[in-house]
Amino acid sequence: MTNNTEALVLRFVDYGESDRIVHLLTPDRGRVAAIAKGARRSQKRFPGTLDIFNHLKIQLNRRSSSGMQRLEGAKLLNLFPPVRRDLGCFGLACYLIEMLDRAAPEGGGARDHERLFDFALDALSSLVAGRVDRSLRVLYELRALACLGFKPELDSCVRCGVPECGQLSPYFLVSEGGTLCAPCRRPQDAATALSRGTVRMLSRSLTMPIGSLSRLSMGGKMLEEADRAIRNFQRFYLGLELRSQQFVDRLS
Amino acid sequence: MVVPAPIERLIENLRRLPGIGEKSATRLAFYLLAAPQGFADELASAISRVKRDVVFCEICFDMSESSPCRLCQDKSRNPKQICVVEEPADRAAVEASGSFRGLYHVLGGTLAPIDGIGPEDLRIAELEARVRDKGAEEVVIATNPTAEGDATAHFLADRLRSTGVRLTRIASGMPLGGDLEYADRVTVGRSFDYRRDIE
Ligand SMILES: [Zn+2]
Ligand SMILES: [Zn+2]
Repeated sequence: MTNNTEALVLRFVDYGESDRIVHLLTPDRGRVAAIAKGARRSQKRFPGTLDIFNHLKIQLNRRSSSGMQRLEGAKLLNLFPPVRRDLGCFGLACYLIEMLDRAAPEGGGARDHERLFDFALDALSSLVAGRVDRSLRVLYELRALACLGFKPELDSCVRCGVPECGQLSPYFLVSEGGTLCAPCRRPQDAATALSRGTVRMLSRSLTMPIGSLSRLSMGGKMLEEADRAIRNFQRFYLGLELRSQQFVDRLS
Repeated sequence: MVVPAPIERLIENLRRLPGIGEKSATRLAFYLLAAPQGFADELASAISRVKRDVVFCEICFDMSESSPCRLCQDKSRNPKQICVVEEPADRAAVEASGSFRGLYHVLGGTLAPIDGIGPEDLRIAELEARVRDKGAEEVVIATNPTAEGDATAHFLADRLRSTGVRLTRIASGMPLGGDLEYADRVTVGRSFDYRRDIE
């Protein structure tokens, strides 16, 4: 049975003499690994399409002896030129697809897959040369977490539920999933301070179009605490040590 | 199947080669067992010598029997033109096209953040020094037209711009996402003839 769908290439591994195994993010089945037979030899069937970041129209065949799906064909719909031209865009795009490759679910609810796929395309197409910085990386990471089903609570206290807990200088408690108000904080909590302005900024970023995120430029202390909070949150819930992090950190 | 320990050991070693599974390894092992002693000795010595006798050229970092390599010592080549490629196999592909008469520089890969490969893992500083010290006039960047190859080309161009050298990039007669190693000679040749300046 052949399945026609769209896909974003997250990773590939060359296999044997001429095959290539590709990890794809699809809008209907989440993350899929498929084998493209003869991909490195045949420029006709896969004319340079099976490269990371490429947005493709593909035909997948579910029948395969190895249990892996077979990629029967792929047509390039879009590649993201700034990602190939600008080191900042390239680094952030790598960070993002590495995160998706390691955390995107396989199978499960179709609606979540579509949301994640749309986010990934949006995120890649919103990258503008010369306008990627650490602030945007933090906001992208937060957005990716939300799309993966791990959205931190930023609008109320995780214990008492009082909205806008920013009134009383808030904390961020990773193990309970979000902001904590001062009166609810117990001495043994491993909570870190997260200033009111930062909480608002992060919360606002979650409802904005992805293309506008580069305008929310965080700096100084705000960036420091936001970066630490989101990174700790990611490590706690997804447990990822991303290899591209070192590369991205050096750019900024 | 129970096989004698020496065969078992050979199979285990062959299996570590890329693209070789249990079945192929077993087939190869039995083939070697049936082959004349001379062939087995020749193969064993070729394998053990390849590690000892092949060195990296101190100038271009290509694999060679000597350092500097023969190409770097060839007086008929234009030393003012340097072609940057990812791997030795790409150098061989460009050379086979016959379109380039300068010298090469083998980077040893591309920037690949997801594999933990950054600028310091490639021979970029060496390239920069070479361009400055030897007064190169043109650097042709012939990394593959993949996302990583393109990003690396732009990174190199940024790094080398201050040297004032002319920076060119092979044209996309090469299929996007392709690999020089697998392209035919005509395509590789054309991608050189139509190379363009990097802004
Ligand atoms: Zn509270
Ligand atoms: Zn050399």
